[in-house]
Amino acid sequence: MSADVSDLSLVRRVQSGDKGAFDALVLKYQHKVTKLVMRYVRNPAEAEDIAQEAFIKAYRALAQFRGDSAFYTWLYRIAINTAKNAVVSRDRSPVDYDLDTQNSDESYELQGRMKDAETPEGLVLTDEIRTTVNAAMDALPEDLRTAIVLRELEGLSYEEIAASMDCPVGTVRSRIFRAREAIDRRLREVFEGGLGRAEELG
Amino acid sequence: MNEELDSQLSAMFDDELPQAECELLALRLSRDRALQARWGRYAAIGAAVRGGDIRLGGMVAHEVSSALASEPLPADARERLQARGLTLARWWRPMAGAAVAASVAALSILWLQQNSLPASAALVARSTAPSTAPVEAPASYVVPRAVEARAMRMPATELANYVVAHSQFSTPVSRDSLLSALMASESAAVGAPEQAAGAAGDPDHHADDSP
Repeated sequence: MSADVSDLSLVRRVQSGDKGAFDALVLKYQHKVTKLVMRYVRNPAEAEDIAQEAFIKAYRALAQFRGDSAFYTWLYRIAINTAKNAVVSRDRSPVDYDLDTQNSDESYELQGRMKDAETPEGLVLTDEIRTTVNAAMDALPEDLRTAIVLRELEGLSYEEIAASMDCPVGTVRSRIFRAREAIDRRLREVFEGGLGRAEELG
Repeated sequence: MNEELDSQLSAMFDDELPQAECELLALRLSRDRALQARWGRYAAIGAAVRGGDIRLGGMVAHEVSSALASEPLPADARERLQARGLTLARWWRPMAGAAVAASVAALSILWLQQNSLPASAALVARSTAPSTAPVEAPASYVVPRAVEARAMRMPATELANYVVAHSQFSTPVSRDSLLSALMASESAAVGAPEQAAGAAGDPDHHADDSP
């Protein structure tokens, strides 16, 4: 199996004018890119803004992407450069986020978003999600749990997982899929319940 | 949703789907919002399993999609679409030329037909006009139609019988010349079949010929 084939399929679709394929690429990498940017900026809202900017830059430059490297490698490079530029630009800016005056609408909005990300109900929801995922993982049959951990935490390929678990590749594929479905069911319950409770608190 | 499709989607998410299936699923994924939502949840599950906050960056896709809604296509896509348009233009150019030429030809034919129609109509009207109408005499000799000529012409056999029957009242020289003229005119007017019939001899004629 050639690496990056699924990303390349989506990239080719975007290059032929299909914007929906780029939505899929952003959905796949939004968490990873934002987490990457968080190494450069500590503020989650700012990290999301930078991640967003990085994706838009990637979209505009996608015509030049020829597939010489993996798409995510190319995307990460853009995200890192965007984050570095944002940090440099912020450092050069005479206005400091932390010591910002209250009469700036933009900084006020930014502070509001920072607060929103760190609201008590938001923190509770984050903890609940983490607990739910852990509980869902624990509830998985051992073969499913091993397969998803080797895939998501260790980043092994299906073939490598099949070799380590001594089973066919098709079985690995099925186990990972069933593990995802089980976790997804639990997460959806939490998201629906959690968001409902957050609205009540708000 | 189809479990096999979801299984394919999970494998595609991990870059473990064969390329041909990947391309088909990429097409579907780019258009199917429900499939995209599931695809996004697989990404969130991965983040959660790795111990991250799955809400971090969870709204980036929505923001990017909104921001790109008014964005033009990537340059490569634009070039491809333009090239496709150019190819179409190249293909259409000779077709359009041929179509214009055909249209001009058709219009010319129509124009000629319309302009020549009164003249031909007048000719038809003139030829079908009643004989009582005051028509000027034709400038040239008009050959009567064959059907009319045949109807007006006395059958040669009858004429020959008439001549033979009345030969006793004519001189031998005039009788011979008249018979020769009749024979010549009959062979020219009636044609070979009748000549052949005459040469073979008709029993009725022979009976008539006998005095």
